[in-house]
Amino acid sequence: MQQLVFDFFKLCNVVPVEIRKGVWQVQADDALMKELDGWRAQGRLLQFTFDQHSAEIYGADLICAGSYRLNSILQVIRKQGVLSQAHIPHHFFHEPSIRKKILGGFGSIERAYVVNCSLQYAQYLQFEILVEAQGLQKKESIHTVVVDLSSGKALKFPLPYHLLKAGGIPKEMLRKRKCSFKQAFANATAYLHESIATGDHKWASEARHKLALEEEKLREFFQGRMESEEFATKKQELQQRLAPVLRMDALRGAIIMIPLFHYHLVVVENHGKEKSKSLIYDPISNLYLQDSN
Amino acid sequence: MHQFFPDFANAGTKKEASILLHEITFPDYKGEVLARGFKQIVSELRAKRFDSWAWYSLANKADELMVSQQQTTELLAIEYLKERWKQVGVVPYRHQLQTARRVIFEMQGQAILADEVGLGKTIEAGLILKEYLLRGLAKKVLILTPASLLWQWYHELYEKFGISAGIQRSEWDWAYSDILIASLDTAKREPHASQITGIPYDLIIIDEAHKLKNSSTQSYRFVNSIQKKYCLMLTATPIQNDLKELYNLIGLIKPGQLGSYRSFKDRFIKDKRTPKNPQELKGLLSQVMVRNRRDEGTIQFTDRKVHPIVVSLTPREQELYNKVTQFVKERSRQTGLQNILPLITLQREVCSTFLATALTLEKMMLNMEPDLLTQVADLLKALADVKQNSKCDALERLVSELDDKIIIFTEFKASQEYIRYRLEKAGYSTLAFDGTLSRGKKQWIRHMFQKEAQILVSTESGGEGLNFQFCNQVVNFDLPWNPMRLEQRIGRVHRLGQSRDVHIFNLLTKDTIEEHIMYLLHQKINMFETIIGELDAILLHLNLGKSFESEIMKIFLAYEEQEKIKERLDRFGDHFLKGQAEVKTSTWELF
Repeated sequence: MQQLVFDFFKLCNVVPVEIRKGVWQVQADDALMKELDGWRAQGRLLQFTFDQHSAEIYGADLICAGSYRLNSILQVIRKQGVLSQAHIPHHFFHEPSIRKKILGGFGSIERAYVVNCSLQYAQYLQFEILVEAQGLQKKESIHTVVVDLSSGKALKFPLPYHLLKAGGIPKEMLRKRKCSFKQAFANATAYLHESIATGDHKWASEARHKLALEEEKLREFFQGRMESEEFATKKQELQQRLAPVLRMDALRGAIIMIPLFHYHLVVVENHGKEKSKSLIYDPISNLYLQDSN
Repeated sequence: MHQFFPDFANAGTKKEASILLHEITFPDYKGEVLARGFKQIVSELRAKRFDSWAWYSLANKADELMVSQQQTTELLAIEYLKERWKQVGVVPYRHQLQTARRVIFEMQGQAILADEVGLGKTIEAGLILKEYLLRGLAKKVLILTPASLLWQWYHELYEKFGISAGIQRSEWDWAYSDILIASLDTAKREPHASQITGIPYDLIIIDEAHKLKNSSTQSYRFVNSIQKKYCLMLTATPIQNDLKELYNLIGLIKPGQLGSYRSFKDRFIKDKRTPKNPQELKGLLSQVMVRNRRDEGTIQFTDRKVHPIVVSLTPREQELYNKVTQFVKERSRQTGLQNILPLITLQREVCSTFLATALTLEKMMLNMEPDLLTQVADLLKALADVKQNSKCDALERLVSELDDKIIIFTEFKASQEYIRYRLEKAGYSTLAFDGTLSRGKKQWIRHMFQKEAQILVSTESGGEGLNFQFCNQVVNFDLPWNPMRLEQRIGRVHRLGQSRDVHIFNLLTKDTIEEHIMYLLHQKINMFETIIGELDAILLHLNLGKSFESEIMKIFLAYEEQEKIKERLDRFGDHFLKGQAEVKTSTWELF
């Protein structure tokens, strides 16, 4: 939590100064204070602490679970970063080794040589998805799903986030996407549904059981009046309250660009016939793809 | 960094929640994919508005933090409100927290909060509302209260829970405001009713829900027709006269909980007020109703100590009292019991101060027949001649013996002014408090009383902004004849949050009607030392709601001999106690 707060002020270009042990102060300008406290607020010296005792003694804003100041900061942060982009620079990968690996793959019967080599970046769309399992109680979790915008498939392995660099890549270096954003999101949620479906659904069965009991009581109450609009409304209310629902909503997204090494090869077969071939190597999934562009 | 703007676009009701991208049905549950977040991402993509990766990462961490905070099965609101409660001095009680937990985790937000008066039903409801808001389970909330409580709810929610609710003023508010406080009487009328029934609410809170006990009323039908996911009904008296009332109330929040009315009648009703199979019924009720009682030992109230102070009138005062009493009796014989109210006032005033009596007599003279005018004029002259007020003398002596803060209650404005005049003259700092003050002024006077003045002289016993737990001494300069008003007076200081025993000083004049009233309220009913729960239910059960004073007056007018009056009051007291026992032993055993 503390790191989050300091990171926030750092991104707002203000430097917290520790004025007393455990009490920090920042010079918040009008814009920042309005973001934090609403349109009436004005720039001021904002003092904050993470310790209840210091908050009481020095009157600094207390930052702890549920405190007003933490909530105002969290709200501002959560409004940011709806969409971002990052890439993995190509020079993180040793091209001669990749080339060697590709050529080595032809074995002893065939020989191959590289006519030319080029670089492209594949586009992936990463979604942060909030999943709410609403049964008798509500449980929330956040899931990250990355969809390859060329194939439309959701990745089953995590990206090497430690290699990511902020920012995008010039448009001409990007591999054309073949999957719409809508389709990508549909695939991401389908993938999530699939992985959740294998889990424990006690929350849902409990809720269904309770719903069945309550519906039975409702039917008894409306005996002989089950065609009425009131019965339908009450039943709907019951469903809303108790029917188990797994709800997904995207919180934010990011375009991730990953280098692809594109090789135009000439393959010499054992009887001397030459054949040209295009190969793409994806260093992240360690896959060789046939170039269909 | 994106700039902040109020989210007016999302002020509508269905708009946001209902946009689904797609639905999938699984064997165990339904899958829903919402469009809102995705659309926002796509619009950013189309506009090529990329935020920095650092903000993206930080926002992800913030999301994780928020979600992890919500995973607890404890009440989130406690942590969230800790700081605020410390500032405003709210101490949540164990029974309030337990109630909130039960309603949220066991009752799925469908409950009747039926705590006895003064145990903090509003706090419980506010806590539940806050919890639902924090957990994202409620967004569109409607609070229906009597019109007189609108502002009280507004302030309670804001001060104690940091919830900024709106108060309904126009027909646009229903759709626009997410959390709205409205009067039930306004809401049930057109054009409002049809608008409200078209809105799907997440949570409805209904205060004073006993007003919905009759299923054939417009209010009942209206509340029944509101679409609601969660519903809280607040009442201290879920049953007043009939078990059917309870059935109707439960039918509003959980129809079918008690079966069809026919089966309910067969299984549970012995007679109107007596249940059959009480244990079984109790089990069913406990699934939808929470009732905390004062005598359960979970809530420790401090003691009430009563100090009667008998004041002997001077012969002149006594003579005047007798003259006014005689006048009241003669008038009642002449006019009958239809216009008894001014006579009751006069009889009560003569026990308070002669100044109050004189002012009322002056008013009465305006509509009086000429032959009576001389009689009243003589009375007024006699009143003007009395220079002494023994009761005020006794009050001054009492105040000189008390160190701490004191609230002096009187029923009459003239007496209030006279008391203040006398006490100020004696060197005490006093403040006046009455029902005509605005809420702001009431708060200011409360603040001044807490910080500066020693004595508050009040004519108002109930109502908003009147909690004075920092004071533990109450002086009843004159006694209200209705036990409800008396309980309201004492309740201002003897309530949750009072840490000291409460001392109640009753000034009563010897050989006047006040002696009888004191006998009835103190010795017979024991109003002062014990808190009679369900006082309103008892009065209603005995049909004495508004006529308690009239009944006493009738006895007083009908008999001249003191012994006879005492005997009749005894019977009246027995009648009250019997009603109390009936209310307690029949239906209340259910809770």
